[in-house]
Amino acid sequence: MSKIIIPTIVLGLTGLAFSILLALLSKKLKVKENPQVTKILELLPGLNCGACGFSGCRAYAETITKECSTFSGCLPAGEEVNKKIAEALGLTGCVSSSAQVVICHCSAKSKEKKSSSKYIGPNDCRSANISGGVIDCAYGCLALGDCINVCPTNALELKDQAIQVDFKKCIGCGKCLKACPRNLFELVPIKNNLPVYNIACANKETALAVKKVCSKGCISCSLCTKIENSPYQMKDNLSTLNYNKPNDPTSLEQGKSKCPTKCIIKIS
Amino acid sequence: MQDLIIIFVSTLLINNLVLSYFLGICPFLGVSGKIESAFGMGMAVTFVMTLATSISWLIYNLILVKFGLFYLEYVVFILVIASLVQIVEMFIRKYSSSLYQSLGIYLPLITTNCAILGSALFMVTRNYKFLEAVVFGFSGGLGFSLVLLIMAGIREELQYVNIPKVFRGASLTLITAGLLALIFMGFSGLISS
Repeated sequence: MSKIIIPTIVLGLTGLAFSILLALLSKKLKVKENPQVTKILELLPGLNCGACGFSGCRAYAETITKECSTFSGCLPAGEEVNKKIAEALGLTGCVSSSAQVVICHCSAKSKEKKSSSKYIGPNDCRSANISGGVIDCAYGCLALGDCINVCPTNALELKDQAIQVDFKKCIGCGKCLKACPRNLFELVPIKNNLPVYNIACANKETALAVKKVCSKGCISCSLCTKIENSPYQMKDNLSTLNYNKPNDPTSLEQGKSKCPTKCIIKIS
Repeated sequence: MQDLIIIFVSTLLINNLVLSYFLGICPFLGVSGKIESAFGMGMAVTFVMTLATSISWLIYNLILVKFGLFYLEYVVFILVIASLVQIVEMFIRKYSSSLYQSLGIYLPLITTNCAILGSALFMVTRNYKFLEAVVFGFSGGLGFSLVLLIMAGIREELQYVNIPKVFRGASLTLITAGLLALIFMGFSGLISS
């Protein structure tokens, strides 16, 4: 009988001793968490996208509760949630973060961008960019998907070697801006669900050089700038748009229809 | 003193827990992708392993031996390791939040690391004295970190290599582990008795 009782008692007591120790320590070592941090953490989208420059939503919540002056708005959260966070911090009406989305300045499909050599190597844009292979255009999209890999919301998609952005999913965190070795992405504001016009080319060469490598590139013909009150401007052999001021939709559309290579695209 | 040095060197290199006893293979393959996380995991394991072997030694020799309950060692050791990990986690969280953030994910993983239970059981079968057990636990953890870091370094470099299709992924990792184990076998002549 004692063969059963003694081990039971010994094991039971060891277990009990450890559990009491754990219980006592958990009370004594309890970390007091700021209730404000928990509240803000609940308000934040919890995507951990890093658009704010912190390692995650928790780190951001902790910092802004400590120094509320550093709060400049969470990009993916949107205006309404940001207002709530500002209220929780005791700040009112100081935040106005407009929604942003990303556009890609190359939309050439596999048939449109020419390629005279085959690239064999690590399957990422960063390495391919150094080798200069994949496509002939030194500015265009390499279509190996570095941007897709970093996107926290799966808003980017490769369709026939061209990047397409899903505006419903894009939160404007700007991670793809850093990931793209050819700097093809640009953050643009969207207002009232108006369509965004995108000059889908980044080639700064002259018309002849562009024509050689791509059938969809901007050939700097400047036809889009010659319409009345044109919002388009020529810069470095490229047509550009200033997204920070509101542009007239009709003249935007006119310019688009003038483009001979159809490299101005409308995304809604 | 000489005994302690011999135990230290032999557990670190010759009888490495990972590469010659094949304990703790799961974190060895799982956390060896990046040097940074490998270092965090290694430090956490070293810390817990040293504590676990010393406290297991105390409980085994002061309680279990007294009552002749040698067969309870497995259950008690698991109990010790599990509660230790919890306590360590609480301490780190309270007193060093930066360390907690870098170790955070790896701490709970240690509970299921068989190298720690293995080191506690080896300490019993080899009849170590208390100080020897402490050194054994510490060097076992260091050996684990060393191998983990070497593996992580190799795997980081391997990312830039064009590997034949059949070797990609787990197979190359296992082959690398096997080659590493072979290399560590070379240490067996280090101490001649």
